[in-house]
Formats: sequence, structure tokens, C-alpha cells
Amino acid sequence: MEKAKIDFGIGLNAYETVEEIVGKCIEAERLGLDYVWIGDSPPHLYCPSIAAAVASRTKKIRIGLGLLSPLLHTPDQISGSKISLTEAYGDRFEICLGVGDRSQLSRVGVDTKLAKVWEHVLKAKRKIVRSLRSSGATTKIWLGAQGPRMLAVSKSFDGVLMNYASPMMIKWAIDKVKPVAQKDFDFGIYAPSYVYRKWRPQAYRLLCIASAVVTLGAPKAILDEFGLGKRLQRAKEEHEAGARIESVVRYVPNEVVDNFSIYTPSSKLSSYLRELGDLGISHVVFGFPQNLSKVTIRDLANALPNR
Amino acid sequence: MLFCLMRAPGSSTELPATSSLITPSHRRNHLKLDLGISSSSSLSAAIQLSKLAERSPLNCIWIREALNTQRDIFTVTSIILLETSRIKVGIGITSPLVRNISTIARAAATLSQIGRGRFRLGLGVGGLQSLVKLGLDAARPSALMRDAATLLKRIWRGETVTFTSDRFCLSNYYARYKAGFATPIYFGVRGSRLLALAGEIADGVILSGPKRYMEKAVAAVDQGLKRRRRRMKSFRFIVWVPTVIVDKKSDLYLAREAVATVLADTPEAVLEMADIAQERVKPIKAMMAEKGVKRASRLVADDLLDEVAVHGSPEQVALDLNSLEKYRVDEAIFGPPYGREPAKAIGKMVQAWKKLK
Repeated sequence: MEKAKIDFGIGLNAYETVEEIVGKCIEAERLGLDYVWIGDSPPHLYCPSIAAAVASRTKKIRIGLGLLSPLLHTPDQISGSKISLTEAYGDRFEICLGVGDRSQLSRVGVDTKLAKVWEHVLKAKRKIVRSLRSSGATTKIWLGAQGPRMLAVSKSFDGVLMNYASPMMIKWAIDKVKPVAQKDFDFGIYAPSYVYRKWRPQAYRLLCIASAVVTLGAPKAILDEFGLGKRLQRAKEEHEAGARIESVVRYVPNEVVDNFSIYTPSSKLSSYLRELGDLGISHVVFGFPQNLSKVTIRDLANALPNR
Repeated sequence: MLFCLMRAPGSSTELPATSSLITPSHRRNHLKLDLGISSSSSLSAAIQLSKLAERSPLNCIWIREALNTQRDIFTVTSIILLETSRIKVGIGITSPLVRNISTIARAAATLSQIGRGRFRLGLGVGGLQSLVKLGLDAARPSALMRDAATLLKRIWRGETVTFTSDRFCLSNYYARYKAGFATPIYFGVRGSRLLALAGEIADGVILSGPKRYMEKAVAAVDQGLKRRRRRMKSFRFIVWVPTVIVDKKSDLYLAREAVATVLADTPEAVLEMADIAQERVKPIKAMMAEKGVKRASRLVADDLLDEVAVHGSPEQVALDLNSLEKYRVDEAIFGPPYGREPAKAIGKMVQAWKKLK
């Protein structure tokens, strides 16, 4: 597989204040990162409004909205946000659609157990594209995917953002999508990350929690494919019984977490990224807790090649 | 126009000062002028008007959510807040039927942070026609509005919320963000029960409808205000009716179109409160549905035009809007449709307002 040029982004979970988030995005732009991705989840601030605040204070960094769940937002609301943002700040915005965090969505009354949920996401994507076209706008629309069904759907998108970090899992996913994807299709990953120069226990604990959230939300098919299902049994039971993720995390084995997160000292990041490039990955988003502070963002930026 | 009775030749421009609603403590000359815009306007036009408003003595920009438009009201409002620094900015209104209540809560909290306390959330059931088009059921609106406002306040307070009704379902939900700034809730509602509910639980009310309805609407809100446990000194009455600066008689078509649109969406109960016979409005509604606003506007009789819209010279419109003060109205919203040239019409209106005040 040909080696791809990799764009780098930082994922921001919008539960800090708008001012703090914007400050981190300004720093990300200054440090030469290509993207900031603003997350969207029921307990967080509203992603399109944060994106507007970020765009108003930055000049060129590309801004990703998402993952946006069509189970929570209508296609018109999603396309309406993108159209409004582009009108005001130019064409700097991309969208990532996906089912979203099922646990959080169910807390706000969204039925995540819809039959053929992938079909719902695909229909939303098509409607968004129609709406954007009718207003003269276009955008890159990514699909956030993990399991085989969503990966199969991703061929109808412009790219896929996979929610794991293990090269073995990434290769498995690429092998599924590559044969059916269009030529200019992009493969990316968006995973909990902690790239460190000086190891901090607080950041590591947050990484474990973020990875546990992703792991517990992963489809059964992928957990079984990689033999992880049984090892998560206890954690799943506790989580489904309503236990907070902070207390469930101790039942998630470290080696399981490793598959779903980018966890490395900064000195070893380049070799990991070379491996991703060899697999055909062209977009890497370093998720929470890499955004913990401007220092952790700087640690990441300094470790990235050619910055 | 709304208070055109006062413009009749030889008549006073004052409303009869007999309203029992006027309290001794009510300050004179306090009524503020706001600007209304629609999310269906182009964003560049909305930004231009907002900047104009920011530089003027206008108090607030209200953005109406047009559900048939290709823009997201919360995103548009964020942009307007980011493009301004002084003026208050409100959504007038959005419906809890079209978004998850947690989304409204967090979007509003985000806007309050962006505006550093300048944001106001207008909440209402929604326009009847839009709801029908979206297949949404507006049954039991009082329960809907009460639950929506209560849930928003609980979420912003940081409570863990579990609540189930036929409209809302939250289970162990809590916001991970801190609201930061208080977000006042303004009800944009019309029936007497809903108006009373606004008085009872909201921070203000946005009234819209025919002139004769206004007096009764304020009285209905007062019923709710009396039910409050604590006296609500800061409750605000805001009036939003179509306003048009008319330079030439032919400009009246703008007002007629706005009135046709308003009447087509006016519930029967409101027409009843305004003593407008249903039979007079039915043909307008039918024509609106069948042939659109232009044809429907031709059916708007002069008295209906005067009853529903404020129109005339800038000085006259300013005078008429200012006369709302006698109903304890705190803010009057100018436009749309403003006039043939919106920016110029707003400029003229601001000048007339300055002179008046």
C-alpha cells in the first residue's frame, strides 16, 4: 500500500469553557497542527457554536465537527450548521457522522437500538450532501466507524475515522474497506491519546477512562474478532448496571486499552506514525486527554515529524 | 398597524391610560427598541444588520428560527454574538419539539458563554404550519413548555436529571459543562394558558398578535405572575409584530405579506381574543396554503393590516411602538420586513427613535 501524507489533528471534548477550548485551538494552530476536531456529545457544549468561536479566532486551521450523530441531530440541522459556518468563515469545516456514544445518547432518550442504524446514518449523509449542494456548498464527510457494518457503509463517505489505534486492528479495517472504496477515499484514526514527554499520572488515568469509554462502546463483532469480548465482560456488566465509567475502568485490562489508544512517549511517536503511513492512514486525530492542557498539546506537536 | 387607532386623524397618539395593568412603580420612557431578524436572511445580511444595531442605541437582536431555511439557528446566533460585543442577542423562538432538550440546554449554555451573558433563549411551541410540515404534534402545549423550561433550568444547575414524559426522556443525565452565565428564558407563546405559564415560570414573554389581543395577553401573563412564589421584578414584556417603514403607499405590500403570514399561523383562540372573526382569516389561510404569500396578501383588508402590523413613517412607527409602554411593555422589536430597503429603513427608524427618546 502506498504511503500517505498524514494530516494531524487534535480532538477537543467540549466540556471546558468556550474560552479554554478556543485558547487550545489557537495554540494548536500556532504549533502547526492541521486540524482541530470539536467533539459533540449530550453532556458537552454545542459543537457548531464552539466551531464558530474557534473559526472567529483562528485563520487557517481546519475545523472538524464531530462526531455528529444523526440520531441526535437532523440532517437539516447538521447541514444548516455547516452552511452557516462556511458562509461566515469560509470553507474550513469538515463533518464526521456516526452513531455516537450510545451510553450518552440513551441518557437523553435517543433510541440507539434502532434496527439498521447504519442505514439511518447513511440516509442522513445523503440528505446532508443534497442540502449542501442545493446551497452551493460542499464538504468532506467522514464516517466514524469501528465494526464491520459501519466500515462497509463507509465506502459511501469521503473517508473513515476509525476509533482504534492498534495497527493490527487498523489493517483489518482497511482490508475490509479498501477494495470497495473510491480512489480518493481517506483513512484516518481518531483515538484517545497520550503522547508524553514527561509522564503525568493524571493524564494517564484520564487516558484509561477515555479508552474504556471507547472500548465499552465498541461493537461486539470487533471485540470478538480480536478476542477482547470475554475480557470485558465484568466491565460491561458494571457499566450496563449504571456504574460510572470512573469506577468501571478498573475492570478494563490495560492491554485492551492499548488497542484503542495512542499511548507512547514522544520519542517513539514517529515510528508509530510511520507504521500508520505504511498502512495508508492519512489523517490522525489525537483525542482526549492529549488536549488536557496547552503543555500536553505542545508535547504532541513537538513530537510530530516535520513540524 | 398595531396601534393605528391612535393615528386616526384628529386623534391623540396616546393610548387611553386606563389599563389596570399600569403599576405606579412602572417607569415612564423606559421602553427599549430591539431589532428582529430571521434565520432565513442571508448570513451576510444578518451580520450587516447586527453590526448596524450594535452601533445604534438598539437593545437586543432577536433572531427568529425559520425551520424551512438552510441555516441552523444556534450556529447563526453564535456568529451574531461573535460579531457583536455590546448588544444582547436572543433566539425568538425555538421549539423544544425540534431538538432534544439536552441539545437546547447545551447550545444555549454555549451561546451564553460566547456572549458573556448577552444571550436570551426564546422558547415556544412553534409555528403551526411549520410543525405540521415537520409532522410534529403540538398537543398539550402547556405541559410541553412547563417541562421544557423546568428541565433546562435543572440541567443548567448541574443536577443529575431523570425525567420521563411523552415528549422528554432523560435518564441519569447530567451536563459535564458548567453553564457559566445565566440564560434567561423568554416564552414566545399565544394562548391564555401558555401566557399565564410564561408569567409563572419564564423570565419574560415575547408577545405577537393583533392589537386587541395584546391587552388580553398582558392580563393573562399577569395571572401567572401572581402565582409566583417570589415577586418577579425583572420579568420582561416584549412585543414582536411586523413593522414596516412606508415611504410610498406601494410599500404597503410588504406589510400585507407579513400580515398574511402572521394570520395564517394565528391559532383560533388568539383570533378570538382579538375579536377577529375566523371567517375573515380562513380565506387568507386557504390562499396561503394553496397559492402562497403574495396571493394571500391581496386578501388582507385594511383594518386587518392595521390590526396586525405597525407601518408608516419612521416617526409614526417609533411613536406607535413607544405607545406600547402603557401596557407595561419593556421592549418592542422592529422588523422584519422593515421596509423596501432594510438597512436604510433600520437607520431611519433608529434616528426616529433617538429623537423620540
